[in-house]
Amino acid sequence: MKQSWTGPRLAGAFLLAASVAILIAVTSISGRGGYATSGPRFVPLLVAIGLLALSALYLARTFIRPDVALAERSAQEDAATHWATPGLIMAVLLAYAFLLEPIGYPLATAAVFIAIARLLGSRSIVRDAIVGLVLGFGMFTAFTQYLGVSLPAGLTPIF
Amino acid sequence: MAVLAVIADLIDGFATVLTPENLAFAAIGVLLGTFVGVLPGIGPALTIALLLPITFNFEEPTGAFIMFAGIYFGGMYGGSTTSILLNTPGESASVATAIEGHEMAKRGRAGPALASAAIGSFVAGTIGILLLTFLAEPVADLAVQLQPPDYFALTVLAFVSVTALVGSSLTRGMLSLFLGLFIGLIGIDQVSGASRLTFGVNQLNNGVDIVLVAVGLFAVGEALYVASRLRHTGEDEILAVEGAKTLSREDFRRSWRPWLRGTALGFPFGAMPTGGAEIPTFLSYATERRLARGKAKEEFGKGAIEGVAGPEAANNAAFTGVLVPLLTIGIPTSATAAILIAAFQIFDLQPGPQLFEQEPDLVWALIASLYVGNVMLLALNLPLVRLWVKVLEIPRELLTAAILVFATLGVYSVSGSVTEVLIMYVIGVLGFFMRRFDFPVAPVILGAILGPLMEAQFRRTLLVSDGDFGAFLERPFAVVLFVLAILALVVPVAVSSVRRVRGLGEED
Repeated sequence: MKQSWTGPRLAGAFLLAASVAILIAVTSISGRGGYATSGPRFVPLLVAIGLLALSALYLARTFIRPDVALAERSAQEDAATHWATPGLIMAVLLAYAFLLEPIGYPLATAAVFIAIARLLGSRSIVRDAIVGLVLGFGMFTAFTQYLGVSLPAGLTPIF
Repeated sequence: MAVLAVIADLIDGFATVLTPENLAFAAIGVLLGTFVGVLPGIGPALTIALLLPITFNFEEPTGAFIMFAGIYFGGMYGGSTTSILLNTPGESASVATAIEGHEMAKRGRAGPALASAAIGSFVAGTIGILLLTFLAEPVADLAVQLQPPDYFALTVLAFVSVTALVGSSLTRGMLSLFLGLFIGLIGIDQVSGASRLTFGVNQLNNGVDIVLVAVGLFAVGEALYVASRLRHTGEDEILAVEGAKTLSREDFRRSWRPWLRGTALGFPFGAMPTGGAEIPTFLSYATERRLARGKAKEEFGKGAIEGVAGPEAANNAAFTGVLVPLLTIGIPTSATAAILIAAFQIFDLQPGPQLFEQEPDLVWALIASLYVGNVMLLALNLPLVRLWVKVLEIPRELLTAAILVFATLGVYSVSGSVTEVLIMYVIGVLGFFMRRFDFPVAPVILGAILGPLMEAQFRRTLLVSDGDFGAFLERPFAVVLFVLAILALVVPVAVSSVRRVRGLGEED
């Protein structure tokens, strides 16, 4: 079976880097007690060291006594993954977060619904638009009128 | 008489629950829980996390918890419907049900499979709730005597068992757990007031809400993962529910023993501080397979009803069992239980022995509502099977888009802040990569919710003992738990080493 080590090694390197960043962040925790066992730094220090050791172990296992099952799974995943789709969806979601308040919940939600459905391969824009608008306005009405949760109205021409 | 006192308390609980309004809440909870739980890829934990905002406007916690009891059972049952008809279990506890259930559905026996799962869930749920009713107060009374070292040991055992016994690699499981512990540490330290690991983001001072972590990991992570593979996997085939919708006399005869055996396996496993429904469901599957005789033996692997009845009952019994440590000790032992803690926190309630003393009415109303939810589930779901099958026909692209929209709505309505939504998206991207590299997700949730509790008990112990670590070993109960935790870590590794030495195939 095909094996791929690139993915697991990148993941290991990322985890290792993140662990170092966390360890550095631990040293900058202030407050009384410091590293004393009952102080604010002790448990974070243990967690950071644990993360560092486990990340190193994970990365090491891609070189020494390699975890073959992981590499085979990784190769299968590589073949099946279409990177553009989740990437573009994340971009749409980021835009959603920033436009939610200026545009308002109902319209932003309808737009995001249509965009994501399209990215996922839907070709019936009328259906998606209807579902998106019903979802956006329906949820907005339900939450603001009946559940007592306030959602941004933005440009919404109602209420 | 203790038994009479329990029955009197329970009757009071029913008096609270059996109002038209509360019965309506229970029905809505069951329907919503089943509806969301049926959606492919959504397990009970995410079902509850997504439905949390509904209860914000409740003034009384009682109505909210009655609804959650319905959602809890509905979400679980919905998951098994999906595994049987679509073979895409939303969580690992439904995997065993899917094996035989999906085979039965392929042979046109989806109706009996679903009915056996539904009635088995009801039987297991009822027995489980009865046990919970009579165990709850005695266990809570014992829990009052627990000291910080005991609590610390309990959390360690819960961590070890969810990490070592679930998933395929101990290293990856431990990494997931430590990521969860890290997330749990973020925010202001309760003892010293120091701001910890916030990386300069002010919103992180209050810590990362568990709902955010669950929705990010389960909903956004899963949706992105589905999106990344959508072009390579065709539509899953949804199997029709044809023919008989109920159990024939023979199906019933073959189902009732597995239901009881599954319950007997599921409840104790769920109720122990190790928690989890995966092990008992697989044990039940293995037991039924070994005990099968005659026709059943031939059918195993090709759709034997025993293989649905047993694991499904075990699953439901374990889920009910998980409520014992959750309500009495305040320790969640599964991802779903961790989200339930978040539901309690919305109403400023902390499950545990104190809850029995301070809010007995609420506790007994909650237990009574479990009975109601369980009956409601059976009454509503057997006739509604065809409706749930329709839910499965929602196109995947619309479903995924809707899940992302609802995930955002859930977090935004909890926090009212775009920053928290962005943090949830970051956790979602993390969840996507965790799925891609086969890291288990449940330990993250458990680490994030139990980590702060563990740290508090750890520091309290060492404060009292003046830094002497021997204090952890002075309590016999704690020592027993530590030994169990070490065994849970060492035994699987030792078994796989022995297998490797004997050349029985590498398995990590």
